Amino acid sequence: MTDTAIEARALTKRHGRRRALHDCSFRLPVGRICAVVGPNGAGKSTLLALAAGLDRPTEGTLTVLGTGPAQARARVAYVAQDKPLHPRLTIAETLRLGAELNPGRWDMAVAERVVGGSGLDPRARVRTLSGGQRTRVALALALGKRAELLLLDEPMADLDPLARHQLMGTLMAEAAEHGTTVVMSSHIVGELADSCDHLLLVSGGRIRLGGGIDDLVAAHALVTGARPPADLAPHTVIESRATGRGVTALIRPEGPPGDGWEVEEPSLEELLLAHLRSPDAPPLLTPGTTASGRSGVAA
Amino acid sequence: MTMPTLRGPHRADLRLHRTALWTGGAVLALTLAYIGWLRWAAHAYPESEGDCSAAEPCDTFLGFSSARGLLYLSLERGAVLLLLLPLLIGVFVAGPMVAREMESGVYKLSWSQSVSPARWLAAKLTTAAALAVGGTLFLMAVLRLGGSDVIGVRWNLHWADRGVYEATGPALVAYALFAVALGTLIGFAVRRTLVAMAATGLVTGVVLWGMGNLRWHLVPVKTVGGPASDKDHFPPFRLDSFSMDQGVTNATGERFYAWQCVPKPQSGFSCPTDTKITTWYMDYHPRSHFWYTQLIETGIVLALAAAATYAAFRLLRRRTP
Repeated sequence: MTDTAIEARALTKRHGRRRALHDCSFRLPVGRICAVVGPNGAGKSTLLALAAGLDRPTEGTLTVLGTGPAQARARVAYVAQDKPLHPRLTIAETLRLGAELNPGRWDMAVAERVVGGSGLDPRARVRTLSGGQRTRVALALALGKRAELLLLDEPMADLDPLARHQLMGTLMAEAAEHGTTVVMSSHIVGELADSCDHLLLVSGGRIRLGGGIDDLVAAHALVTGARPPADLAPHTVIESRATGRGVTALIRPEGPPGDGWEVEEPSLEELLLAHLRSPDAPPLLTPGTTASGRSGVAA
Repeated sequence: MTMPTLRGPHRADLRLHRTALWTGGAVLALTLAYIGWLRWAAHAYPESEGDCSAAEPCDTFLGFSSARGLLYLSLERGAVLLLLLPLLIGVFVAGPMVAREMESGVYKLSWSQSVSPARWLAAKLTTAAALAVGGTLFLMAVLRLGGSDVIGVRWNLHWADRGVYEATGPALVAYALFAVALGTLIGFAVRRTLVAMAATGLVTGVVLWGMGNLRWHLVPVKTVGGPASDKDHFPPFRLDSFSMDQGVTNATGERFYAWQCVPKPQSGFSCPTDTKITTWYMDYHPRSHFWYTQLIETGIVLALAAAATYAAFRLLRRRTP
């Protein structure tokens, strides 16, 4: 057994001439609930598809559960963004397909629980389902597989708030009970913050932030003061702007900011938005989440 | 349909395409019933004896001259229709079986189960191949059943005729397998349902047509000849042989078209005015060549099928980790 769920080293993926991922290096320990956050087109889906073994990297290496994505296939479950399902099968047949294609792993009770939670008729054909209902069936297939690593691409996008709450609850309960590592992507920052303890911020095909959410927040400070911005020079300034009371800046402090600065802990949302607005800010991976071996970007 | 012995991706493929499976099965059963019934009717309602006249008109059968006539007509048309079978198989494999799964993104579902993409593709290939071979053999057997006494010998069901030739030997089975392999390759490579269907149908058709011409050049022809005169310069007609070329020669063995040189050389053609015709000749394939051409053609087509299969898996290996 390995303690690393996903490890990327200098991972690059090009789709034709477009670069979806560029020189990404990071490590995700097992047992984490990881949010992959970033704007549309940042490379989140590409990253998840590579980890699921659907595509091969252009350059670099990707290790999943201590082995290659292809070798880890049986131990990984993946739900693609568009929730692909066979439209002409019924829900019951779709779940039976999961049983047949995952011999020795499949847990029908879990899958039926996920589907049954909304009063869906198992005899309903998939093509008659709404977007949210399809999501439910796709998640049932993924959870029924009893995977060690769950890769979910925008899992909650189609769900109404009630279903979102309920399914997230089921997901978290399953993950907690079996120690499953979960990786969920979203372009909505707040959507996953409550459930996740780990974060990867992806934008422009690069990893901008990686690590435990608490560690990442603790590594930054929101400072306000009526002083010249040059005073912040010893620290890494992510973003600064003039406000009524002088300057407000998000920094990675290299020690106490000194007199005249009012220091606050930033919210996760402030942290992420500041990094997205400042594409030139240096990336930060907290200790334990950098790739071993060849060093990539590290704090 | 329950298939307790089949598991995993094979069974999944059968379930996904059960409508097509049932439709195909129904078509096979109807074909067998139709030909069987005609065969029985030909026996039960034989042609009228003697000449037909206004006073004593011939019996007819559903508007056709006789049940036997309808049977033979059905066999002639059916044998030619059997040439469409590989096209149909290829188009189905390329479109609904492979390309649609790629185009709709459902392959992402298939590949994220515990089955590798290579096994996913192999399951499609073998399931389609088994059904294609089974269906083709069944229809070939129905053709035999309908015309066991006439196929290969009757004028319009000649052993070398397109359709009859393919459907009375292993060649048609090879074409069915080729269509499955080609459909898989094109469907996987193109990833667009309609484009893949059209391309597979086109390529299968071109190969069928091309091999249909090539096959008679795979084995050297036999030649017969005999003395020719102005009046008698045609080879004797033999139903069991397939003529490739026939004509007349002069004393030095130079070959000419009979109609250009006999009874006297016509101007404007390759036949010089002083030509003196001495013999007739015919290049032909005797019926004994049937198995040679069948086996060589089958070998070529199976090699093409193997190449397409290899290419499909190579492409898969390049796309997946």
